[in-house]
Amino acid sequence: MISQIGSIAISLAGGLIFSSFIFLGLYNKSKNNDYLEVAERAILATCYSIFLALFCLLNELLISNFNLQYVAQYTSYETPVFFKVTALWAGQAGSLLFWTFITALFTVTYIFTTLNKMRKLKFHSYLILAFIFSFFILLSNFIANPFEPVSSDIIVQNGNGLNPLLQNFFMAIHPPILYVGFTGSAIIFIMALAASISKDISFEWIQSIRRWSLFVWTFLSAGIILGGYWAYNELGWGGYWAWDPVENSSLMPWLTLTAFIHSSMIQEKRGMLKKWNFLLATSTFILVILGTFITRSGIISSVHSFTAENLGPMFFTFLSLLILYTIFWFLRRKSYLDTPDKIDSFSSREGGFLYNNLILILMCFTIMWGTLFPILSEAWDGNKIYVGASYFNQLNIPIGLILLFLMGIGPLLSWKSTSKSVLFSRFKLPMILSFFSGLIYIILSGSFQLYVFVAIMGVSFTLSSILGEFYKSYKKYNRSSNFFSSVIKMFLSNRHQNGGYIVHIGIVLLFIGFIGRAFEVEKEFSLSPGEQIYFSNYVFKLNSIKSEARDNHYAFLSDIDVVDSDNQLLTNLKPEKRIYFYWNSDPEKRQPHSELDIYSTIQKDIYSIFSAYDAQKNIGYFKIMINPLVNWVWIGGVLMVIGSLFAFWPSRRRSK
Amino acid sequence: MNKVTTSILIIFILIVGWVFYLTNIKKDDSLTVRYYSISELASEVNDIKKIKVGGYIKPNSIKISEEDQLEVSFFVYQNKDSVEVNYYGIRPDLFKDDAEVVVSGSYKNSLISATELQTKCASRYEGDLKNIEKI
Repeated sequence: MISQIGSIAISLAGGLIFSSFIFLGLYNKSKNNDYLEVAERAILATCYSIFLALFCLLNELLISNFNLQYVAQYTSYETPVFFKVTALWAGQAGSLLFWTFITALFTVTYIFTTLNKMRKLKFHSYLILAFIFSFFILLSNFIANPFEPVSSDIIVQNGNGLNPLLQNFFMAIHPPILYVGFTGSAIIFIMALAASISKDISFEWIQSIRRWSLFVWTFLSAGIILGGYWAYNELGWGGYWAWDPVENSSLMPWLTLTAFIHSSMIQEKRGMLKKWNFLLATSTFILVILGTFITRSGIISSVHSFTAENLGPMFFTFLSLLILYTIFWFLRRKSYLDTPDKIDSFSSREGGFLYNNLILILMCFTIMWGTLFPILSEAWDGNKIYVGASYFNQLNIPIGLILLFLMGIGPLLSWKSTSKSVLFSRFKLPMILSFFSGLIYIILSGSFQLYVFVAIMGVSFTLSSILGEFYKSYKKYNRSSNFFSSVIKMFLSNRHQNGGYIVHIGIVLLFIGFIGRAFEVEKEFSLSPGEQIYFSNYVFKLNSIKSEARDNHYAFLSDIDVVDSDNQLLTNLKPEKRIYFYWNSDPEKRQPHSELDIYSTIQKDIYSIFSAYDAQKNIGYFKIMINPLVNWVWIGGVLMVIGSLFAFWPSRRRSK
Repeated sequence: MNKVTTSILIIFILIVGWVFYLTNIKKDDSLTVRYYSISELASEVNDIKKIKVGGYIKPNSIKISEEDQLEVSFFVYQNKDSVEVNYYGIRPDLFKDDAEVVVSGSYKNSLISATELQTKCASRYEGDLKNIEKI
């Protein structure tokens, strides 16, 4: 019953969105505002029927209605309630509906807040919204319908259940957070296009689009970092980033959006760079759709498989239409977007932002080139050539290091231009500190690695320059005697700027984590209980291997003592080898899983994997990795999110 | 165009050139690897230094060494063709019959010595429903 309602709801959404096109057409002919009003209501009604459809699907998942293909495939009676909810986005059909659902949430917010203030943008916003909706609703209705019943000649006794690998809190929340970022970029796309087409770029508009961008950026960043965190803690290859096409396609829009957040500041302050900003704002959403196309078409081999054959051409068509539409309006509004002002000095705030944009776009370009290279090279001469992680590292490490220094330089530059003497006095201290930290590295470390050297100098340069800025504004607010109250006053005084600085500190901490990667070591070995092995200044002693049958799996538990160079017991690691579905008579249906154990400190992680167990000989096979500074990546990530929320959070009205 | 825009343009062009150089001219270098389909390999007689192959693990072809559990050999197939792969190291958890894998390594005497073995990330359970009863 409920599933029929859901099914009807998505059909209804299709009809409603179609009718909105008709009313928009009528409005365009007659300019009668009533038609626009009706179109708006049709779009809102579309959103509401999508809400309804989603709640119907949620209901079916919760009550385990295995008459639906989707419910039977991703849940079972044993699936915990929390993971029944997260099954909403575990598969193709559900995740598409979920994507549409978040778009609908944003649409309602956009109509009731932003468009209420900027009525002139309504017509073109609705037109683009209707186009985007009709694409996704089309998919949900005809190609990946989550309410598809199982074939009529079978009865499903129990569903398949969710993969144990995905039954992890961070994995469960990582997709929706990323989806919020992805779909939110659609609003930025719509705002940029609608304002340019209706020639109504106002100060209010630029402030509003910047707020949307910060919001979207927060979620994109959080989603990317959480994905890395999950991979590191769950997948057992000891890293958090592998330059996989799927990861790259979430990073590309992040880079263009970051560029937009910076360069739109120039437009806000000086009305410049309108064309450039238009391109950044629109390309973010286009890159999101490109990424979705890459991940859902299976055109590039990736370790993440979402492959469903019939979605590739659909997404490609959608992508092409978006690009053509954007280019068409960009060319038609070129003269409107032209600004007479030019940036007149290298050493100005605007110049700093421009370098930052250049660097971010270069990164985006190199990543896109590397990701699409198999397709491009195959089109060129028939050879499908993949570029490895070494390509991305070789290109992006130097570019990233320049970015690191720029984050320290930019905030110290004044608008329009900065005189040489001012420049020198501002950069004196950061430069000295950076020089000394580089010197300390050379003295203390036995070997010299250029990138590590430069990165250490960059970290201390940028960190000291940002902290210096904080100190300067702290002195301004030091009137009250209490230290804490003046610090709080200082932070609240200029939220945008201080939030930005906090984000920058977060990124500097990320770089500290990245430096650690240069010092990673690993070893694979086999041990019998009682034996020990020496590796990287630690002794690893295997005490025992036990086995245990648990609720939904069978586990082999190892017990390893880690002894440091002072002969002190540092920690005890208990990585497990688990077999899910071990009761299944068909060994192919059993699912082994390595449960890691990580000893994590602020300096380094000791990462242990129990990879195989030879029961006859009683030998365990292990892999140990020493990963320095990994925790700084997560700390930096949290700080990035806090900083951007701080900048985004609406300031209290100053009225008294 | 003024100084700033010109210089930025020049930097941009230089780096774009560098990217082209890295990916195109140094094709056999450590940066790139050519993807071969298994049917292509079937007719390949020469040795290949670096290779990347994707396919499915042939059922019942996984042989784990008695001496060392980390040593394994198996066949990867696609349609009718297949190729033998040797690998030493930790295997991913999803490594089993009919799992989709991507291996990279070198190709010699119709045998791939893999240095890297990846299974497709388990985004979900694919395939048919398991606990069903036909009416």
